Amino acid sequence: MLQPKRTKFRKAFKGRIHGDAKSGTLLNQGSYGLKAMEPDRITARQIEAARRAITRHIKRQGRLHIRIFPDVPVSSKPAEVRMGSGKGSPEFWAARVKPGRIIFELEGVAGPLAAEAFSRAAEKLPIKTKVVARLGDFSHLISEV
Amino acid sequence: MSDQLTLSAETRDRGGKGASRHLRREGRIPAVIYGDKKDPISIHLAERDLMKALHTGHFMNSVVMIDGIDGSIRTLPKDVQLHPVTDRPLHVDFLRIGEHSTVHVNVPLRFENEEASPGIKRGGVLSVVRHEVELVVDAAEIPDEIAVDLTGFEVGDSIHISAVTLPKGAHWAIEDRDFTIATITAPSALKSAEGEAEGDETPAA
Repeated sequence: MLQPKRTKFRKAFKGRIHGDAKSGTLLNQGSYGLKAMEPDRITARQIEAARRAITRHIKRQGRLHIRIFPDVPVSSKPAEVRMGSGKGSPEFWAARVKPGRIIFELEGVAGPLAAEAFSRAAEKLPIKTKVVARLGDFSHLISEV
Repeated sequence: MSDQLTLSAETRDRGGKGASRHLRREGRIPAVIYGDKKDPISIHLAERDLMKALHTGHFMNSVVMIDGIDGSIRTLPKDVQLHPVTDRPLHVDFLRIGEHSTVHVNVPLRFENEEASPGIKRGGVLSVVRHEVELVVDAAEIPDEIAVDLTGFEVGDSIHISAVTLPKGAHWAIEDRDFTIATITAPSALKSAEGEAEGDETPAA
């Protein structure tokens, strides 16, 4: 699973996710992408589950690019512990995702195959998403035979 | 050569985000025409027509005739701003050009004859480094796309710009180096198969 190699601080504020994505909204390396339509924290486990769903569906052809990175440590308190006594210990890592952010990109595969792989990946994510392609390419809208 | 697109437009007298948002609510997209040592003109276009032109796939490398303002203005789209979530166009920049002026334009690459590439046949992945290349060309001769022949390329090969046939009367904007446009890389399945084969050989040795 993805996580930073080293961090400056062990724990982070919870924060709120406001507004739309300002960068990472256009396809960069690939021909097809999966775009976030809602804001949320996506955990490293969810990214890994979605990545597996994609690579298994495309039968390890093509090339997948992950455009988000879980760099926020999320802490939680143990069960049956009274409130107070400081912040809990970091439990997992998450990426803060804003609407419009490209989460995954695929290259070297046909449009219908990419669309099906992304729809399987979207099932593993906590947010609504859509499949995007380069301007003038509509092949991802054709369903797989 | 790419088709000439025509869009009808009207001038807008109010600039700024308030006026632009008002236009967008009414299905019009704000745009600007500049260049050719003349004053810029603020215009707005019908969103429907613009979307149709955008979805041709060669909007950015086509000459667009803007009708309805002082007759017809010959332009080249320079930038389209899209909404990050909805992907609706927000604003378009057009560069005013002469009929035979020389322009710098990004032309998309189309990779063909994939079945004639032994590398891709073996399961290699065509990893595109540049989806489009910048061309210096006469405005009347802008190609729709540039074909790249993949015949004979193996896994691990790089396809450089020197392997691409230059359209007539044009030259690449980058001429000082033979830059890479794509590579054929081994997919993870092929890599692991090779790794297993090597792993099998090691204990025998």
